[in-house]
Amino acid sequence: MKKALAIVLAILIFIVFALAFVKIPFGEKMSTYPHYYNPITNQTSNMSLPQHYLTYGKNDTGATNMVTAIVVDYRGFDTLGEVTVLFLASTGVGSLMYVENKVKKKVRRSNAVVETGSKLLFGFIILFGAYIFIHGHLTPGGGFPGGAVIASAFLLLYLAYPKFHAKHEKLSVSESIAGLTFVIVGLIGLIIAGYFLYNFLPFGLPTYLFSAGVIPLIYVAIGVKVGSELTAIVDSMMGVRE
Amino acid sequence: MKKVSNANRFAYAFLAFIIVWCTLTFSPRIKPDQYLEEFIGGVVISLIAAALSYKHLSQRGLYNLSPKRIGWFFAYIPVFIWAMIKANFDVAYRVLSPKKPIKPGIVRIRTNLKNPAGKLALANSITLTPGTMTMQIIDDKYYIHWIYVQSEDEKEAGDIIKGEFEKYLKEVFE
Repeated sequence: MKKALAIVLAILIFIVFALAFVKIPFGEKMSTYPHYYNPITNQTSNMSLPQHYLTYGKNDTGATNMVTAIVVDYRGFDTLGEVTVLFLASTGVGSLMYVENKVKKKVRRSNAVVETGSKLLFGFIILFGAYIFIHGHLTPGGGFPGGAVIASAFLLLYLAYPKFHAKHEKLSVSESIAGLTFVIVGLIGLIIAGYFLYNFLPFGLPTYLFSAGVIPLIYVAIGVKVGSELTAIVDSMMGVRE
Repeated sequence: MKKVSNANRFAYAFLAFIIVWCTLTFSPRIKPDQYLEEFIGGVVISLIAAALSYKHLSQRGLYNLSPKRIGWFFAYIPVFIWAMIKANFDVAYRVLSPKKPIKPGIVRIRTNLKNPAGKLALANSITLTPGTMTMQIIDDKYYIHWIYVQSEDEKEAGDIIKGEFEKYLKEVFE
């Protein structure tokens, strides 16, 4: 009885969704839609949405990487929310892993190859992470992968030195400064132009490092924030070791 | 080993990072002023990365870059490649031969390298040449997995496995 009900329900949901999706012409020309008004060029056009982004995106944001232009500029507020979600996840892991009577785990010394190798590679991995998030507006990549690369440098130190501990105070300071930078940049835009996260800096020339206005600034902030949050997560998962 | 100042080690780390950055950002079609912007960004990032990691990166700082060491390092590259080619053919013979001439085992050898980076370079050189693999290093003892154990004697096995490597690495790292 229950099974039959479940199947009927599933079919019903499928029909409802199918009916809803039939009306949306995926991948078709926008010409079936009413004319679309573009507030920047002040004219109506029948361009599809992706075409619109590809045509005007470079002039709107100054970024050559269209994905970054959408993530950090058009949908910048949404990205602020995403970063907040990551912060909450980090806090959650921290509170779950916190043990009142800190049980100290016995750990083995790791291999000499790993120890020396991680020491030598640590700085270069940090450099590469920074390279990824600084070029977010020019190349594939950006704050999130760059931050993850930086956290992996710290993870390597955790693996090589069982007694290694990143200082929590320093992590929260760098994380807070990064988060504040993001919000302050947004607020300056609000003051200058009346829009939160308005791109108020000059765009510069496309494909140059110092271009696209505030996008690199925000991506640096995101990179530092993601890096320190993921490191904090790794740190709390490692627990207290002896 | 004599103590090297922190500023010296910092300068070495910065130099290493800025060179890597310049190679990462270079492309044949880049314009000079565009490259200048990349360079300015690289200086800032390298300073930060160096501040975070110069204590890990080296004990000897800029003395790593003495012409003698660099010369020995470049002399080491063909030696290493030649050893690798020989080992490749040796392993290919052992794999393809129908008689299966293998006698795998783990041997212990000793090194007289003292510097951790030198030990790492020797361990990786041994691992990269096919047929031998470094499994563990404890102080001056290496535990090596060998595809055909020619000798169980510490000294003799060490001479065969390390070959010319140790002589060159000693000049580069000690």
